[in-house]
Amino acid sequence: MKRNTLVISAVLFILAAFAWAGWANWEYRKQAAERLLASTAQAELVPATGDSGSPLQFLPALLGKPAPAFTLEDLSGKKVSLSSYKGKALVINFWATWCAPCKLETPWLVELRNQYAAQGFEVLGISADDIDRGDPQKLSEEKRAIGRFVEQMHIPYPVLIDADSIGRPYGGLDDLPTSFFVDRDGIVISAQVGLTSKDETERNIKKALGIVK
Amino acid sequence: MIARRTGMYIALMSALTFSFALAQTQRPLLDEASRSSAKPAAVAYLYPEQITVPAGKPTAIGLHFRIGPGLHINSHTPREDELIPTVFSIPDGSGVRLEAATYPPGADFTLPLDPKTKLSVYTGEFIVQARVVAASGEHLVEARLHYQACDNNACLPPRTITAAIDVIGK
Repeated sequence: MKRNTLVISAVLFILAAFAWAGWANWEYRKQAAERLLASTAQAELVPATGDSGSPLQFLPALLGKPAPAFTLEDLSGKKVSLSSYKGKALVINFWATWCAPCKLETPWLVELRNQYAAQGFEVLGISADDIDRGDPQKLSEEKRAIGRFVEQMHIPYPVLIDADSIGRPYGGLDDLPTSFFVDRDGIVISAQVGLTSKDETERNIKKALGIVK
Repeated sequence: MIARRTGMYIALMSALTFSFALAQTQRPLLDEASRSSAKPAAVAYLYPEQITVPAGKPTAIGLHFRIGPGLHINSHTPREDELIPTVFSIPDGSGVRLEAATYPPGADFTLPLDPKTKLSVYTGEFIVQARVVAASGEHLVEARLHYQACDNNACLPPRTITAAIDVIGK
């Protein structure tokens, strides 16, 4: 009887030890999985639909509302504010030098800007290239790279830098190019994520100008 | 009496075996299926998770990565200066030194709206051949892959992912 009690106690002790080891192992792997999820959490490309009904999750929050205000520097260091374009129809176009689709879209914007400028239309190009404000030499190189792009593309409209600093109110800017169409009252009336078509861009510009509904 | 005692021992041993199996199970909590329900990363490190190499001797290892469906990243040698190359690195002080990295050649790729411009990209799975020298002992290396991903119409900002590799130098 004594021997039985001893054996049962020993087995129960071992069972408890294994149960604890199992629980500890599960906890460890749960935390590792959470760390992995956190490290892989990343922006998701929004599939282009090819029509004006792009599935912009952030658009409902901005559509019909005033375009979020900002003041950014241009390549010469001059501060440019959205508010100074009151009364004009605008495209706020986010792009980057490393973005191949942006290189396709920019000539369309240049052409359309030149076509509709006389009617009170302007484009504000905002570069999402990294900006190292703490390193003057790097900053100068980065500005030069943006400047080369501006020159190659013959961009006639203002080009501002440091899109990241205003990314949040504009939906995170995880996909480039992204354009917001703003009417003369400063209200966001449409947006495009990714490369669409020149025709669609023109349609949205006309809407911003009030030429079509 | 003997039969009762034998039954009791069998029951106890079964419970013991079950507990042991529970304690030792190594099934990952975040398997491929559950990972896919999370927001997909453009590039994921696949394997190896652990390697044993001769300590102090240069050793080549193949590191496997996978790019998300519908996406591409620039190769290590993109055709245009502005495009961001894919670069593998190992941080200093990790006990493992990267002597050289050899990248696969990029595949030609054209955007549907610009069939004239050829890009040099990776899609699907690709392997970076890394020549490493490990000090003696076990090192948890957090290697890095810097890349910039796009699909046919849009691009994501450049990113750096971590590839956790347990390197044992013997």
